[in-house]
Amino acid sequence: MARILIVEDEENLRELYAEELAESGYEVEKAHNGKDALNLINKKDFDIVLMDIRMPEMDGIETLGKIITMEKKIPVIIYTAYSNYKSNFMTWTADAYLTKSSNLDELKAKIEELLAAKKSQGR
Amino acid sequence: MEKGKIIWSRNLLYWAWKIFIPNLILAIYILSIICFREDVSGSSCLLIIIGMLVYFFVRLYFYYYKIGFFLWNNVQNLREVINEFKKGRFTVNETINNSVNISPVLQDLLGIGKQFDLLLSSQDAELKKFHEIYSNIINSMNSSFIVLDREEKIVYANEGFCKKFHVDQERIIGKSLNSVFYFVNTRLKMGISQILQGNSKEDVILKNVHLMSIHRKSIISDIKISYMKVGDDFQIIVIIDDITDRFSKDYHASILSHLSETLGDETGIETTYYNILVGVTSGSGLGFNRAMLFMVEDDSLKGKMAVGPDSFDEAIEIWNSLGSSDSDLLIQYPMEIKRGELLRRVLDYNVKLSEENIFTNAVKNKERCHIKNAWNDPRVDDTIRHFLEVDEFIVMPMVSSGKAIGIIVADNKYNMTSISQQSIELLAIFAYQAAFLVENYLNLISVKREMKRLEERQEAIVESEKMAAVGRIASHIAHEIRNPLVTMGGYAKRILKNIEGDEVDLGKIEKSADIILKESERLEKILSNVMDFTKPAKYIKEFHNINIIIKDTHRLLKNLLLEKNIQVELNLDENLPEVQCDFNQMKQVLLNLFQNAIDATPSGGNITVSTDFDEKNIYIKVADSGTGIQAEDVEVIFEPFFTTKITGVGLGLANVKKIIKDHRGKIWAKNKDEGGAEFSIRLPIPSLENKINEAKEVF
Repeated sequence: MARILIVEDEENLRELYAEELAESGYEVEKAHNGKDALNLINKKDFDIVLMDIRMPEMDGIETLGKIITMEKKIPVIIYTAYSNYKSNFMTWTADAYLTKSSNLDELKAKIEELLAAKKSQGR
Repeated sequence: MEKGKIIWSRNLLYWAWKIFIPNLILAIYILSIICFREDVSGSSCLLIIIGMLVYFFVRLYFYYYKIGFFLWNNVQNLREVINEFKKGRFTVNETINNSVNISPVLQDLLGIGKQFDLLLSSQDAELKKFHEIYSNIINSMNSSFIVLDREEKIVYANEGFCKKFHVDQERIIGKSLNSVFYFVNTRLKMGISQILQGNSKEDVILKNVHLMSIHRKSIISDIKISYMKVGDDFQIIVIIDDITDRFSKDYHASILSHLSETLGDETGIETTYYNILVGVTSGSGLGFNRAMLFMVEDDSLKGKMAVGPDSFDEAIEIWNSLGSSDSDLLIQYPMEIKRGELLRRVLDYNVKLSEENIFTNAVKNKERCHIKNAWNDPRVDDTIRHFLEVDEFIVMPMVSSGKAIGIIVADNKYNMTSISQQSIELLAIFAYQAAFLVENYLNLISVKREMKRLEERQEAIVESEKMAAVGRIASHIAHEIRNPLVTMGGYAKRILKNIEGDEVDLGKIEKSADIILKESERLEKILSNVMDFTKPAKYIKEFHNINIIIKDTHRLLKNLLLEKNIQVELNLDENLPEVQCDFNQMKQVLLNLFQNAIDATPSGGNITVSTDFDEKNIYIKVADSGTGIQAEDVEVIFEPFFTTKITGVGLGLANVKKIIKDHRGKIWAKNKDEGGAEFSIRLPIPSLENKINEAKEVF
């Protein structure tokens, strides 16, 4: 079972993702900012990180920079309310960039895609 | 005549008294002696009678000698002398003068007569001399004048008048004014008839009257018409003062100054063209009869304006109308553009510069061209012959900065006088001045147009700055809007899924609904914040606590501050009095100051906002730990379009300053000693004193 880390400062949204993804059959962990997320990543292995950009203490961009320099490669999906954050080149280093939507199908499809890619790479 | 009679009758009495009466008395006396004294002898009687006779003859001789009364030739002489006296002068006949047998009395009389004659003739010489001097004065007078009788026939015209109007004095005497003038000015006619009808015993004074001699020479004059009593009759004296030179000088000066005055007007180039041509025609036949203006536009020569009558009658009407208003203004000229046949024809004129004709050549060569016989001159083509319908005309280029910008064409179609060198020079001067003015005008217009465009651009910039600010804010709040929306949508779907599922978990539905409700409340709040901000700038001054506005603004920017990791410290005085201000405008001010502080502060920095107050004012301070303001910029940061930001336009602080000023406050900035900038705002606390000061300022 694939393990997903959700990094989101807004509680309601975080819960929504967690419940939805759990129902889709993923194992879900939650973090409420970048610092939390890094702590968790250091402790556990995750197949995918789903992360917001604007968060207190450590934002998504900074966190992303730290994740991609790690030894273990984890695919990161930037998932944000901002559409113009695409102009920040740091976000290009993410494996996927999605705008937040109440329709989670797109997100789920992306997760499947990344997982499949990871699997094929692993072989 | 009377005198002669008196002398004659007195002589008769004298003779009667001196000769007959004494002798008669003597005779009566002697005869009475003879008659009443009988004792008188006959011889003594005879002696007495002889004595009487002797006495009688002695007397007779004496009187004869004295006056020669009884000599016939003397009587004749006396008559002649008397006749001379009767005539009132005394040129004594030679025969009397040489007569030997003339009585001493007559001689005396002759002597007196001669004296009298001498006196008279010397007086006559004096009179003649005086008359001569007098006529010399009149003739050499600068003013010209004529004397008219009650039939309006010329009785006298002085030399000045004859010279001025080129007429022969002898030929015009006894004729009417029509023999002197090409047309008799209506105002002059009316002035004369006013005097004739005896409506006015006062002088009639007419200013700036246009007179034209039969040789079609125009003269502008001031005229004085006076009533003059001659015996039982009267005459009219018309004194004409030629003011042509002064008038035309003043006229041109006034037209030129008027031209420069109208330059900045919105009246447009048409009026400027018109004024130029009015100057060339001088409005009243002083200059040319007609003038037309053509301007170079792109590669064509286009007719722009024309001034001048369309017919001879109209010309006379114009010449008559000069100075007819009673205004004290020296110069009056028609300010209404006459849209007649001439102007229509000129406006239709449009010829490519590449075409060769006398007009385009004048532009190309920048040379004037004086045509004296258009119908035979090869330089003039048929189109222009029919266009102008005159023999003689002049084409004058308008040259400014070495470039011909147009031409003025002028002629004397109606009085048909030849174009003098003097008027050509005048036209040249006018064309030069006009070219200069027109070019200035066109420059001014383009500058104005440019300014207007700039103004519009500035407005657009202000608008876009507003839009940018809105966009920035919108981008910051997009996150906040999307988040609750996504949450609400997500949970709504979950509720649906739950209901559609096999087991309905009411607890879960309740939780979802609760979240949706909270999120929608949050959305509403965000929305009202945005609406507050984007409301149009219109001051609604009410009492507000600035602290609340600061907190509101802070809340609006919370996410941005979080994102940049900037700490905000609010040191707000709880007792801060309320001030009269526009909530949204004040919010805008604080948003701007916050935004600037955020922009200037690096991640991890801090911003301090504090409020305090004294008796009269409240103070707001926004300080940051950023880079501060460049020393040389401190003075100019509030000026519009000043910016240090790459994407900014520089209206933010200018707008802030304006709002604060509109609230009777003041804003200033400085660098803190410990680094970073500090913006301070002072706003007045409403008080009776402040109100009074405010009222004072209004009045």
